[in-house]
Amino acid sequence: MTLKQTSSTRSLRGKTAVIGAALSAVGRVPGKSALALAADAATKAMADAGIGRGDIDGVLSSHAFAAPFHRFSVAISEYLGIQPTFSNTLQVSGATAATMFNIAAAAIAGGLAETVLVVGGDSLLTGLSPDLALRSMTESRDQQYEMPFGIPVANTFAMTAHRHMKEFGTTAEQFAKVAVTQRDHARRTPGAQMTGPLTVDDVLNSGMVTTPYHKLDCSLISDGGAAFIVTSAERAKALGIAKPIYILGGGECYTHEHIFLMPSLTTTGAVQSSAKAYAMAGCGPKDIDVAGVYDCFTGTVIMILEDLGFCAKGEGGPFVEAGQMTYGGAVPCNTHGGLLSFAHSGMPGSLFHFYEVVNQLRGRCGERQVAGAELGLVHSLGAGFATNATTILGTEATL
Amino acid sequence: MINPKDAHIKPLPMPDADSQAFWLGINEGKLLLQHCQACGHVQYYQQAICRACGSEHLEHRAASGRGKVHSFSVVHRAPGPAFKQDTPYAVILVELEEGPRMISSFVGADPAVVSFDMAVELVCESAGGGVSLPRFRAA
Repeated sequence: MTLKQTSSTRSLRGKTAVIGAALSAVGRVPGKSALALAADAATKAMADAGIGRGDIDGVLSSHAFAAPFHRFSVAISEYLGIQPTFSNTLQVSGATAATMFNIAAAAIAGGLAETVLVVGGDSLLTGLSPDLALRSMTESRDQQYEMPFGIPVANTFAMTAHRHMKEFGTTAEQFAKVAVTQRDHARRTPGAQMTGPLTVDDVLNSGMVTTPYHKLDCSLISDGGAAFIVTSAERAKALGIAKPIYILGGGECYTHEHIFLMPSLTTTGAVQSSAKAYAMAGCGPKDIDVAGVYDCFTGTVIMILEDLGFCAKGEGGPFVEAGQMTYGGAVPCNTHGGLLSFAHSGMPGSLFHFYEVVNQLRGRCGERQVAGAELGLVHSLGAGFATNATTILGTEATL
Repeated sequence: MINPKDAHIKPLPMPDADSQAFWLGINEGKLLLQHCQACGHVQYYQQAICRACGSEHLEHRAASGRGKVHSFSVVHRAPGPAFKQDTPYAVILVELEEGPRMISSFVGADPAVVSFDMAVELVCESAGGGVSLPRFRAA
């Protein structure tokens, strides 16, 4: 199957900006429902932007496993006392986060809304038993052709990583280096779930989950919510926002539903989604100062670093090993610790990458600050690489 | 809400209008693939149109049952309690001789023997409840 690249003169570049960003408490947060976590983040994001509930006319959200409303975006609106005139609950698994930003920008640029609350919250750690949390993950696989074989979501990603090892000689140590690098980042992030020191040997000795992935190659199970306020560039200016972070480009790609129909196990739809986002933003991988790369598993990061163009196909392992995804390297990635060490509360997990990249671009990351960060990229993905979405963000200097 | 009891039951295929013939075939020991009479594309899984050309003229033919392991992952930590007693087991991505790939599980030997490009052959095994599943063993 060949994938068609669309080119369009229409563009979202610089038309909208993130003017507020906030997280609820994340990690182990007992006694808070998914809606409460989402609402907490939303209230803080509005305060961060200096706006009130009455200023929000659009609400986009992800689903929550622990609060399985069919219309979570409508439920959270009611919870917050908002009656939006634009709303949707998006579901493309882990890629949902970036699609929320892309669609918020498109809705605002197209006149469907002026100011959109992007929000997600879930309590996978304390709101569901561990077995049910895992089961909730397996239920996203096909009932007829995948689930009867006992295939956890981890397994679909593991088979791609395994094939990457076979084709390119990528090693278990290189996978482990991703976890170690991100743990080093998390150790400097207030509120991160995992902050103890971590070595490559610790990862390799952490017990096999599904080959080639050990326990510490896998992301966390967490509670937590995140919320953002996205508005038009004009409105951001009128509000006198000190440092709006502009949405410069977005792209998505959906290559398959079943893992056995993935065109190549080692090259993902991130190639197409990022190509679209780069083209819209008018930049390339070499221009990106800081990135949030979806990291449900360590090998996922290695494959996506390649597909986003930060290194050549097959060179992701050596790239990570050489320190290119941390400070002083080609592109500091997941500087908050990512899903592997900061937190992973399901659909909102990738919103934490957005929170970090937005704050890096706002210069608010303290000792984690990437010096001179002006242009950022977040890549979200899910469902065994079935879904890929990229968003490129930048400061006023990048317009 | 998710019912905790469900987590202890292994999921079985629930045939629909597209896939009924396929699962009947498996019960008879045959893995049916769809061959497009318009363009020759061979596809797994079963659906009403050819994924390559959109034609509705699809013919079921039994696969040879031979294939090789394109990738695999040995599960040590089960996805929920239903599969706990089966670990370790190898989930395999089989590339069938006819071209299509499919997800299955490896049977008949220690999962540690599974390797890339290993030759495997179909075994249709009862999974209870009158349903069989297409699994593979070393050829």
